[in-house]
Amino acid sequence: MSAKDSTRMILLIDMDAFFASVEQAHHPHLRGVPVMVCGDPSRRGVVTAASYEARPFGVRAGMPLGEARRLCPQAHYVEGNPDKYVALSVKLLDLYLSISPDVEPFSVDEAFLQLARHGSLAEAREIARGLQAEIDRRFSLGASVGVGPSKLVAKMASGVQKPRGLTAMDVPAFQRHFWPLDVQELWGVGPKLAARMRSLGITTVGELAHAPTALLKGNFGIIGPQLKEAAAGHDETPIVPCHRGVEPKSMGHEVTLPEDSSSIPFLEGTLLRLSDQVARRLRSDRMAGRVVCVKLRNHRFETMLRQRVLSEHTRESRRVFEVARTLWRENWDGGPLRLIGVTVSDLEPTEGGGQTELFASDLRSQTLTAALDRVRDRLGEASIVPAGALTHRGHASHVPFGTVPLASSPEDRPEKRRVTSPAKGR
Amino acid sequence: MFESLSDPVDVLSACVEGRLEPLRFRWRGRVIRVRKVTGRWHRREGQSQLQYFSIEDASGGSYELCHDPRGPKWILSRVWVERTG
Repeated sequence: MSAKDSTRMILLIDMDAFFASVEQAHHPHLRGVPVMVCGDPSRRGVVTAASYEARPFGVRAGMPLGEARRLCPQAHYVEGNPDKYVALSVKLLDLYLSISPDVEPFSVDEAFLQLARHGSLAEAREIARGLQAEIDRRFSLGASVGVGPSKLVAKMASGVQKPRGLTAMDVPAFQRHFWPLDVQELWGVGPKLAARMRSLGITTVGELAHAPTALLKGNFGIIGPQLKEAAAGHDETPIVPCHRGVEPKSMGHEVTLPEDSSSIPFLEGTLLRLSDQVARRLRSDRMAGRVVCVKLRNHRFETMLRQRVLSEHTRESRRVFEVARTLWRENWDGGPLRLIGVTVSDLEPTEGGGQTELFASDLRSQTLTAALDRVRDRLGEASIVPAGALTHRGHASHVPFGTVPLASSPEDRPEKRRVTSPAKGR
Repeated sequence: MFESLSDPVDVLSACVEGRLEPLRFRWRGRVIRVRKVTGRWHRREGQSQLQYFSIEDASGGSYELCHDPRGPKWILSRVWVERTG
């Protein structure tokens, strides 16, 4: 670590059970009781966030609602509101920016903050304590904060005590605390990587810190020595302040269907809506992408990802949809699907309303798209939707947490059609 | 559980230090007095900025009101109802 970095102090502020806590803060009768934030509670889906009161029952984010209901029947189920959480997240960032200009949003409920003046760990800890109190005073929300000389130490320290925890660590304290722990506790080591490390006899963070560099490089490539450094508590990754901006690597939308569906018009309409939303975001952010990926999850929770690289970048709804539909038709076995997603990646910025594809789109189509975008800019996303997506009639706007109503009329559910090839699910 | 609504309501409001503050509103023949605004946020819809308010009344009832500057109009968007059965 450089001399300069040895004195920098970084905070990682992690809002405790953020979505559920916001609902409890906004609705006092929900305080002190188990709360689950989800999509429409009357439909099926997954738990998006569980309050701390719900966690002793074994409920976790990502768990199917049915299972959560069995584990914690007395919980209150609240339909999430992404607009509300994002608005609060922005207010929190404003608060952080009043302390330091070097704030890096890490997710909707986490942010790194590098203190403007390099000081001692004890000073940084006091600033963090004051920040926690201010978050509570202004928003009635709890936050757990990790403090350390690097993003790595701050991030891992933030998870040591929850909720409303405050943990400050220098590198020796990091090593004392984390070295005896399982290697998977290290930030960046997932279950598969941990399993490979264990097969090499590396079971703890400390053993990874002391493992031979050549062994790690031989087995994990360039990431091996980097993980060894991280295990030692060394990290020089800079803060990327939010005012500098970071270009997204991909844009995508996915929905959990209200019930498993093999209805071709419904699934195609869902794909069209998702493709339109993704392409609309690309155009709004003046980006175009070259890789279209479709995600299909069946009723057995088997997930399949299939992607196609295009010959040129696109941001056209029609093009994204055509590719997504082809991938779906080629890989769907006709069985009931639980979730569908569309993602576009390999993004690059585009200038103004310029053409990104050489031959793909005629001028008339582009002019129409631009006109439709102007209507949406003025009147909102739900003002115009693709006609083919009207299998979601009445619910055409963005739906929180990915639930869409299923088409109900019998004619919307034709016989299952054979598709070109069987699923290649994992 | 919360019931999602889209009921137009008459709202008596004040502008305090530049901030819109709902004070009471009439819904289904009842006048509901705002005891506390427990949360506020906004959402952009096209060129319009909709303002949302989480509200608690004197009896602990929980509501969400939306102010739409187009019109202008107020909408009761959510109300907490006790589960029955």
